[in-house]
Amino acid sequence: MAPSAQSGPKPPVHFSSSLTIAELAVLTGAHHISIHSESVIHPRARLDSLAGRVTIGRRCVVHERAMIGGSASSGLTSARSSVASPGVLSPTAAVAGSGGEASQSATPQSVTLGDYVTVEVGATIEAGGTAVGDGTVVGVGARVGAGAVVGKHCTLTPQSVVSPGEVVPDFTVVLANGMRRTDRRGMTELKNKGLARQIEVLRRLISSKPAKFA
Amino acid sequence: MSSRRPPRGEYIETDTGNKVARKATLVGTQNIMLGGKTVIQPDAIIRGDLVRTIHPSSQSGGNAAPQNNTAISIGRYCFLSRNCCLRPPGRLYKGAFTYMPLRMGDHVFIGAGSVVQAASIGSHVHIGAGSVIGEFAIIKDYVRILDGTVVPPNMVIPSFSIVAGQPARVIGEVPEGGHEAFELRDLYKTVGNNPQPAPH
Repeated sequence: MAPSAQSGPKPPVHFSSSLTIAELAVLTGAHHISIHSESVIHPRARLDSLAGRVTIGRRCVVHERAMIGGSASSGLTSARSSVASPGVLSPTAAVAGSGGEASQSATPQSVTLGDYVTVEVGATIEAGGTAVGDGTVVGVGARVGAGAVVGKHCTLTPQSVVSPGEVVPDFTVVLANGMRRTDRRGMTELKNKGLARQIEVLRRLISSKPAKFA
Repeated sequence: MSSRRPPRGEYIETDTGNKVARKATLVGTQNIMLGGKTVIQPDAIIRGDLVRTIHPSSQSGGNAAPQNNTAISIGRYCFLSRNCCLRPPGRLYKGAFTYMPLRMGDHVFIGAGSVVQAASIGSHVHIGAGSVIGEFAIIKDYVRILDGTVVPPNMVIPSFSIVAGQPARVIGEVPEGGHEAFELRDLYKTVGNNPQPAPH
């Protein structure tokens, strides 16, 4: 088994009892991470609440190496550099400090995922008031910039980019070459049902270890 | 230099010649089949735990033979680069969701950071770095996929194709006599706990 990838402070978490979280998922940061009912976190998914709160809605699926939160500069290096930064050297100090900071900085630097959101392998969602609407699929290796607001039922195709601060309207399909179009298929109910079935299966296949993060 | 066998190398070398990095993430190892002489580099992820949950035979009795639970089967001389991710494709089948096995032939190279969710990959396939292979894609033999290609779900790539773009398109054909370039025997020797220099 690979060594624990836990680096940096352990964040305070708020888990629903019906959540499935793999043992190899990585949670770091100082702010609250809350995950609502029936969501699935795959191994090696990374949730970083160092900059602000991370909220994940109902029936979301976060795949391998997806990065949710973390500083806007660079997804993977942020967690490492944060360890070296002063003020968060010890986990206890960071948690104690977060109580005071949370009131000002939690909201502007947060990440919020709606319900039925799928974050595919290696996708990055940067912190900074970022919001992803219900039913949206963030494709493999896609990147949602800091402060971007992605609407409901959007599809970000693999390796597409939503730039920081951008507002993407509901039902938009974002293509990797920068083009956009609107999804008029009206498949949202069907997609949600399919996702619910997928979660049912994943709950049986992935052994959940929420106690590791509590 | 004095000890013949170093206590902890970067790779675990099995009797069948597989070289698996200690830092690779293999989930559900009992469902992963390695054909031998396969290299798995650090930080690669293989999801063997996503097994098929619906079996076609299960409706008719189903107690004839022990069910084959292989989620990912990999042939000989395959090379999985750093940060790549192999996971079985999943879909709705007769109203229920199930994962399907991912099969790979021999001499398959998977570039760094690629995500593979294909249904099957033939032999002598080269997948460039940063590529995304969509769910249930079928890749035949002697295919070269260039760096950063996004192969859409369910695409079938015929033999001897060169594929690139987002979404992927067949942009050319593997030239006559270009088949030796797919051989990974020499590459296999250049990694491991006592790597050999690449021959010229």
